[in-house]
Amino acid sequence: MTLRRDAMSIRILGAFGVALALHAIGTALIPGYSAPFAIRAMLVIAALLAVASVGQTLVVILGGIDLSIPFVIGFANVVAAQLYGQGWHFALVCVVVFGLAGLIGALNGALSRGLNIHPLIVTLGVGMIVQGLVLIWTKGFPSGSAPKAVSAFVSIGGHFGPLPVPALIPALVVLTLLILLVLERTPYGRQLYALGANPGAAPYALIRPLRIWTVTFAISALFAALAGVLLLGFTGSAYGDVGQPYLFQTIAAVVVGGAALVGGRGSFVGTLAGVLVLTEINTLLIGLNFAPASVQAAFGAIILLLVSLYGRERHFRTTV
Amino acid sequence: MPDMMNILDLTLKPGAAPFSTGLRAGEILGLAGLDGHGQEVFLRRLAGLERSAGGLEMQGRAINAARDAERNGVVYVPRDRRSTGIFPGLSILDNFAIATAGRDRRGVFISTRARRARYDRWKERLKIVAPSPEAPITALSGGNQQKVLLARALARDPKVLLLNDPTRGVDVATRHVLYDLFRDLAAEGMALVILSSEIEEILVLCDRVLVFRDHAMAAEMSGAAMQTGSVIAAMFGRAA
Amino acid sequence: MTRILGRNGFALAILAVLLAANLMMNPARFHPAAWGTLLGMAAPLIGAALASTPVILAGRGGIDISVGPVMGLVGAVVIKLLFLGAGISSPFLLWPAALAIGAAIGAFNGFMAVVVRVQPIVATLGTYLILGGVTLTILPAPVGPAPDWLKAMAGGWSFLPLGLIALSWCALTRLPFHGQLMAVGSDDRAAYTAGVNVSLVRFLAYVLTGLLAGAAGMMLTALIGSADPKVGANYTLIAIAAVALGGVSLAGGRGGLLGAAIGAIDIFLLQSLLTTLNVSTYVLQVAYGAILVTAVVLIALQDRHAERSPA
Repeated sequence: MTLRRDAMSIRILGAFGVALALHAIGTALIPGYSAPFAIRAMLVIAALLAVASVGQTLVVILGGIDLSIPFVIGFANVVAAQLYGQGWHFALVCVVVFGLAGLIGALNGALSRGLNIHPLIVTLGVGMIVQGLVLIWTKGFPSGSAPKAVSAFVSIGGHFGPLPVPALIPALVVLTLLILLVLERTPYGRQLYALGANPGAAPYALIRPLRIWTVTFAISALFAALAGVLLLGFTGSAYGDVGQPYLFQTIAAVVVGGAALVGGRGSFVGTLAGVLVLTEINTLLIGLNFAPASVQAAFGAIILLLVSLYGRERHFRTTV
Repeated sequence: MPDMMNILDLTLKPGAAPFSTGLRAGEILGLAGLDGHGQEVFLRRLAGLERSAGGLEMQGRAINAARDAERNGVVYVPRDRRSTGIFPGLSILDNFAIATAGRDRRGVFISTRARRARYDRWKERLKIVAPSPEAPITALSGGNQQKVLLARALARDPKVLLLNDPTRGVDVATRHVLYDLFRDLAAEGMALVILSSEIEEILVLCDRVLVFRDHAMAAEMSGAAMQTGSVIAAMFGRAA
Repeated sequence: MTRILGRNGFALAILAVLLAANLMMNPARFHPAAWGTLLGMAAPLIGAALASTPVILAGRGGIDISVGPVMGLVGAVVIKLLFLGAGISSPFLLWPAALAIGAAIGAFNGFMAVVVRVQPIVATLGTYLILGGVTLTILPAPVGPAPDWLKAMAGGWSFLPLGLIALSWCALTRLPFHGQLMAVGSDDRAAYTAGVNVSLVRFLAYVLTGLLAGAAGMMLTALIGSADPKVGANYTLIAIAAVALGGVSLAGGRGGLLGAAIGAIDIFLLQSLLTTLNVSTYVLQVAYGAILVTAVVLIALQDRHAERSPA
């Protein structure tokens, strides 16, 4: 009986199907929806969201949630621009940005698990502190820019060898494979699922919950920082609130991709499907000339519809 | 037989009477007592999961924390399969290998072949009846889940195996498979400590029994002295 | 009783310190005669924190992040559609309308979370986005004014809705529902086995949250004296922070409205202290975060200590 696994695959396939259907609707309704440039733009936007969602996926498999992602994105975005603008070597900038991000994430995980505080509160509080400190440091007016290489890496008009997409897209494919390997074929990956599935059994199976939480939240922050740096290349200038749309979008992508917020279930492929669905919805609604307010409302309604169709939880009675 | 563990003046609860005993290699030691009279605390103490006054050492090395137990080959199998045993949603193979996942690593990644081979050995020895190792653990009967959990513990090569009511909710046929297994393991030199809520089980299986009352050892019996009546009498605090 | 005090202890200690600091730094603003005004200024946040509490108490990931947008929508509907549009100005019509909007949205959230069984944070995220969009469609830009009686409630009269909520909650704690809510929040399986209708209790918690969010929306409208589509949503996360600060466990089943209110007052006092000190909003943000993290860490340490020494 591989029912659970099959149900999971069906959810993921379903999400990809929804993305395809949305794309077909867009192509039918909006001229130029499937034009090469439009598809490239969608791919890049989706890829940026995918990078930001890596950490949320891992944290949700663990049974947690990370609200600090948008703040860490903004932190990395602003700090990288500022330091690079001051003439630092970009490698050194990355060491500082990713080092600090890793520490922020580790603090999130260690506090949440070590003291048994809901990660929602810890990551929210830590995120607010981080954002405030960045604002104080830049006095609210960040400056600086990204190196050309980063901009080229994410540019919608970019090329990767003969491929008509920027290097970000093939890099994301490699990253996806790597994440799959780590989740499926390393002790860390298996322990992550196990701990999410039943925290009570973990200590008897030589799983160290504190270590896994610390590492996983650190990874989450590292990918948020990566998204922040890539966004710097994408938009060209630093903006502290650049991560804000990602707060709920990462959660929505993970859930639309079939992960359960109670932990133990989820996959990065599912998240990718969720990312595509969200990107298609956004592009479609904007393409249909909805006002931003209506786009937002329709976005919410569609997420609810999708999740009620295939993101339903088991009845708690079945867990008695 | 050489001594495996030495227990010296252990106090399971402030105010409870201290007691001393030992554990030999190849021995099956039974723990009995009315619910909540300290036998479970004692078992968990052996695993380093509880703190207490008094000493516990294994071949000269003190065991005070779960880490010490882990390093010295002391392995604890908890009682409640559902809340502290299985990882629901994960495969049988994952549930088996999770505590020893590092051993299947070839380079950076886990070799599925090595993991499978390891599982197959235990599957045979424990007579696990499972459709496919990739099936979720929840697809198995209670008895087979318990066998997978035992396989998980045995894969750690324990010198001392601590079993908290290992046959709870397990069918009769499986029980006999487990009894044979426990005897074989003991014959190979492993020390087993079995907490059971069924006195008959202890009498059938164990070389020696400790009866607990009020968080202290009320009686220690072995050989011909181990009788249902005397064990029950000790449980209720009456002289046999 | 000591337990209840204990859970609120840190929030109360922070409250005392902040109140003293405020009194010293800005005696004019904190003169007893001005307490009514102060209460009016704190009322929306207190209301939002109170509203966020019932679903959190109900446990199993219960949370309502649509509380802020409900507040925004209430303002938009009451001022733009009912008062300015339809010319209805009676408090006896507008208040029930606000509460009905809140309760209806709460019922929708409850339906999604309990019957359709979408994870609460996702269900209410959907509602959050929908309400934000609807509010902006009804009310693209701020309009005013609010009816005079409502503006008057920004002062000392804000005591009226808050006091009514407090009284109703006191009454509620004497009903079986309160016990059932706490039982469901701390262990729903046990509650279910004991014969509690877990789904119904959870659903009612969402309705209660919506109802309180509707009231909070009126308090917000009273304070700003008009309707503004943008301010409501900001209250969501800060209200949840206030709830946590007030010792309500996000795992459910522990805490109450009193703690949430104290948590909200703490945040308000912090705001006003830092405004008095004329520090930038950036420092304010760091202070929010730091106080929130410190408080939950201290509460957790206290819980841990309490578990170690049950006496």
